[in-house]
Amino acid sequence: MFGIILTIIAFEIGVSIRNKWRNPLFNPILIATILIIGFLTITGISYDTYKVGGDYISFFLGPVTVLLAVPLYRHIQALKNAWLPILAGIVVGSTVSIVCVIACAKIFGISKTLMLSLIPKSITIPMGSVVSEQIGGIPSITIVSIVITGITGAVTAPLVCRFFRIKNPVAQGVAIGTASHALGTTKAMEIGEVQGAMSSLSIGVAGVVTVFITPVLLRVFG
Amino acid sequence: MRILLQLALILGICYAGDLIHDFTGIPVPGNILGMLILLLLLCLKIVKLEQIREISDFFLKRLAFFFLPPAIGLMLVGDDVKSQWPLLLFLCIVITIVTMAATGWTVQLLSKKSKNKNP
Repeated sequence: MFGIILTIIAFEIGVSIRNKWRNPLFNPILIATILIIGFLTITGISYDTYKVGGDYISFFLGPVTVLLAVPLYRHIQALKNAWLPILAGIVVGSTVSIVCVIACAKIFGISKTLMLSLIPKSITIPMGSVVSEQIGGIPSITIVSIVITGITGAVTAPLVCRFFRIKNPVAQGVAIGTASHALGTTKAMEIGEVQGAMSSLSIGVAGVVTVFITPVLLRVFG
Repeated sequence: MRILLQLALILGICYAGDLIHDFTGIPVPGNILGMLILLLLLCLKIVKLEQIREISDFFLKRLAFFFLPPAIGLMLVGDDVKSQWPLLLFLCIVITIVTMAATGWTVQLLSKKSKNKNP
């Protein structure tokens, strides 16, 4: 019980802080994670005690991931207009993201487990955490890196589009969704309707593409 | 559809995804296979969006909540990882920007080409 109550309270605090300031830096997951870890550390309650309640919540990760089909289905019609550039962009973007992680890990001497944890950092949390588990990463590190990636996308998207001269609205949307999932999409929706729809579509597609190309890229570059 | 039946349907799809993963051994997690099954059912109109509206609204609106327990696993991460956080933060930021640029350029380039072909 304890773990469930603590998680709900921390999450609600995180959501109300986000609603108050509407700034991507105030991310509910980040706030709630800090609150929960802080609370457990200060009170000296062990992670295992927390996990008893936490596991009841984690049980629902399966159904939550399956339900991602709903937003994907809602936006899949957007593919019909220009499916080739969109799909090509997502495949290229996802590949670049994964290859960059592998290359940086080699350059900076990051451990293999850590590298595997960072590989699915650009995709939505449900898919990213299962990919991480599947390839031998640490899901908790993956989740935090996904949140950092999303915040980066939401904060930098307008600047990146201007600096790299990405002017086509479809290209902007696909770029934001592929690089920074649902968090970046919040920004894409502010920029424009086309950008928002394309970004929403790209979240799911980039997730599926990453699931399928990760084992291949790991075999080639890993 | 009643909400408990909706939940049963989604759990059933989840279970089917796990079974397919276990029996075929394909390197795609069962949850993702479940998602693809539901997407297929929706595209074929076997399941309609209205039939799973309550359950999908309930879970998708508070999606982040269900990921808090796994995120708290961060507590167990060793000192070797903790010392690398500044580097990881930096890499996450840089790689995100590179990914965004690469994706945007590809889409922009290919859309221009297809436009030029059919003036």
